[in-house]
Amino acid sequence: MISRQSVTVAKWEFLRFFKWKQQLISYLLMMAVMAAVALWSYFTDESRKVYRIAVPAEFTISNTEQFQFQRPTIALDEQLAQLKDGESWHGVVTLSPDKEAESGVVLHTLAAKKWQQQLEAELNNYFRQQYATELQLTAGQLSRLQQPLALEYVYLDEDFKGKDTPEKMIALGVLILLFIGLSTAFGQVLLSITGEKQQRVTEQLYAIVTPQQWMDGKVLGHSLSAMKAMVTSALVMLLVFIVVSVVVRDDGINLSWLNWGVLAWLVPFALLGVLLSACFMGAIAASIDDPNTSGKGAVMMITWLPMLFTYLVIDSPTGTAMTVLSWLPLTSFAAMPVKMAMVDLPWWQPALSLLLLVAAVWWMRRVAGRIFLRGMQMYGKEPSWGQIVGWALSNKAD
Amino acid sequence: MQLIVTAISKDYGSIPAVRQVSFQINSGEIFALLGPNGAGKSSIIRMLVGMTKPDQGSILVSHQDEHYDHVPRRLLGYLPEDRGLYPDKSIEKNLLYLAQLHGLSKQKALKEMAHWLEVFDLTDRRDEDLKQLSKGNQQKVQLIAAVLHQPALVILDEPFSGLDPINQEKVVGFLKALKARGMTVILSAHQMAMVEKLADHMLLMAKGSAILTGTLADIQQQAGPQRQMAISCAGPVNVEQLQQWLPDLAIEVISANRFILKLTAEQSVSATLKLLVNELELTQVEMQTADLHQLYLMAMARHQQREPA
Repeated sequence: MISRQSVTVAKWEFLRFFKWKQQLISYLLMMAVMAAVALWSYFTDESRKVYRIAVPAEFTISNTEQFQFQRPTIALDEQLAQLKDGESWHGVVTLSPDKEAESGVVLHTLAAKKWQQQLEAELNNYFRQQYATELQLTAGQLSRLQQPLALEYVYLDEDFKGKDTPEKMIALGVLILLFIGLSTAFGQVLLSITGEKQQRVTEQLYAIVTPQQWMDGKVLGHSLSAMKAMVTSALVMLLVFIVVSVVVRDDGINLSWLNWGVLAWLVPFALLGVLLSACFMGAIAASIDDPNTSGKGAVMMITWLPMLFTYLVIDSPTGTAMTVLSWLPLTSFAAMPVKMAMVDLPWWQPALSLLLLVAAVWWMRRVAGRIFLRGMQMYGKEPSWGQIVGWALSNKAD
Repeated sequence: MQLIVTAISKDYGSIPAVRQVSFQINSGEIFALLGPNGAGKSSIIRMLVGMTKPDQGSILVSHQDEHYDHVPRRLLGYLPEDRGLYPDKSIEKNLLYLAQLHGLSKQKALKEMAHWLEVFDLTDRRDEDLKQLSKGNQQKVQLIAAVLHQPALVILDEPFSGLDPINQEKVVGFLKALKARGMTVILSAHQMAMVEKLADHMLLMAKGSAILTGTLADIQQQAGPQRQMAISCAGPVNVEQLQQWLPDLAIEVISANRFILKLTAEQSVSATLKLLVNELELTQVEMQTADLHQLYLMAMARHQQREPA
């Protein structure tokens, strides 16, 4: 089915963009950046500092780990002057003289800071307790008032696995990985095909391999690159999860939430999805004569739409939209794995969806081959959209 | 391999690129397509390669009792007019890739590569990226790429362009070596001196049409005024008087006492000389034959007169 020449082209294309040293360096850099961000947040964490707050004498608010409340006897002007000098207080709380004001409480500080949100929470809590005392509520009554509604969901559809389950995280992970894979393929396919045209290799290659063999090789090589990017990213995600579990949370490694049955289906869907998208990208790139002047490259981003549509309906995995998306061959590679992660499906549904996807890939690779051949015969003239659609729909032999 | 091209025509939209061109190429010979830019040479080559099909006429390619309507890829070595390789890859990687696409094993490709790199003095540079090479050296790598798999037919579109005279001579040697290996070669070129040394048969084209075809001798025959006499006299020559004596001959004055007479096939050398000896004191008479470059220019001039733009 795939010729020896296509495999040679695929190998060449895959290795052309396989720069393992650069990739390793980029992952190390990414980890260094993540570590730097973590260290920065640790050292600039305002919640670990103690803040002194001046409050009116009548406040009975208690000190917390973060805030020391002081009741100065000096006049407000003097308090504010000392606040400005930064010597005595980080903030001064007063009651608003304006009785009509909604809050009635004023916080004087030098500038906006993150710790002020925590102070606001403390003040809120204090005032709630004050009002409860005024209303003669017990601590229990106050606690119940403050408790949000605990709404429990009971799903009667036995196939639906739940809304906020690990399966949903897997589904989101699938979409992210597909996005990473297709972004990789997008750049490489565009660069590779239009680059060969710019470097004038195309005509020489035409004399050696058929346009279909050439396109098959390109698609296969860049799909492998995309899969490699997805696998590498998945491994990095898993590594981060393990590091966080073991080092940060001290929980040990627990991968029981991984649904291996769904993961086994993910691989063929992801591979075929990447192949389908790479065929489409190849077809568009083959119609571009000069990437510097053509506006067609942006059309390749259409391949990201299946992920976007699936994300938009991810909270309704049994809804009509998700059902349509999971059957439509152009979107099923993103929607069906997500649906499978969240809903138990009979085996024939993903199998049939996969079969339709295989047919779509087969058709799209033929279209890409035809567009490449016809585009090349135009010698520097870019085909119109009408011509491209005509070639795509024609059944003429290459 | 034999090619018989019969009355092929090709239009690109409303622009006629090739008009009713016929020729034949026999196995093991070097065939040259000549003509100015836009004459239709590359269009013919693309039809032979199978990239485009003729609108009219036929191409018959015969090789070992098999017949095709264009040259099959496995039998073809091709250097296109629009050419290039991967600039950020080494000579060896570029050549190995193309050889493996042709189906050569790595071992055989390396052996063939070593031979041709030696021929073109590129052995020591095989690991250098293509972008580090001069344009001429890049062209040599492309010539090697076209023949590594030992094709039956090699088509080279402008193989001499961009090369200095020394490298042009190397390409002449390269083409002779291909012929010696039994390969049939089609080349298009502007460098008439090179073609004259190499081509067994040639086709001169203008504006899509064939205007002369055959061997060099055939073309000299077809070209018309192909013989010329360079004559020096003891004293200055009166051109008007000379034209009166020889009204049917083309006269080109070189200096005050030297001129060239261009004779057609029908005009007699001895009768012309007798007349001149009676009228002038001749000091030197030299018979010349027009070279391919002159024939080409003359033919083009005649074609332009017949077919104004």
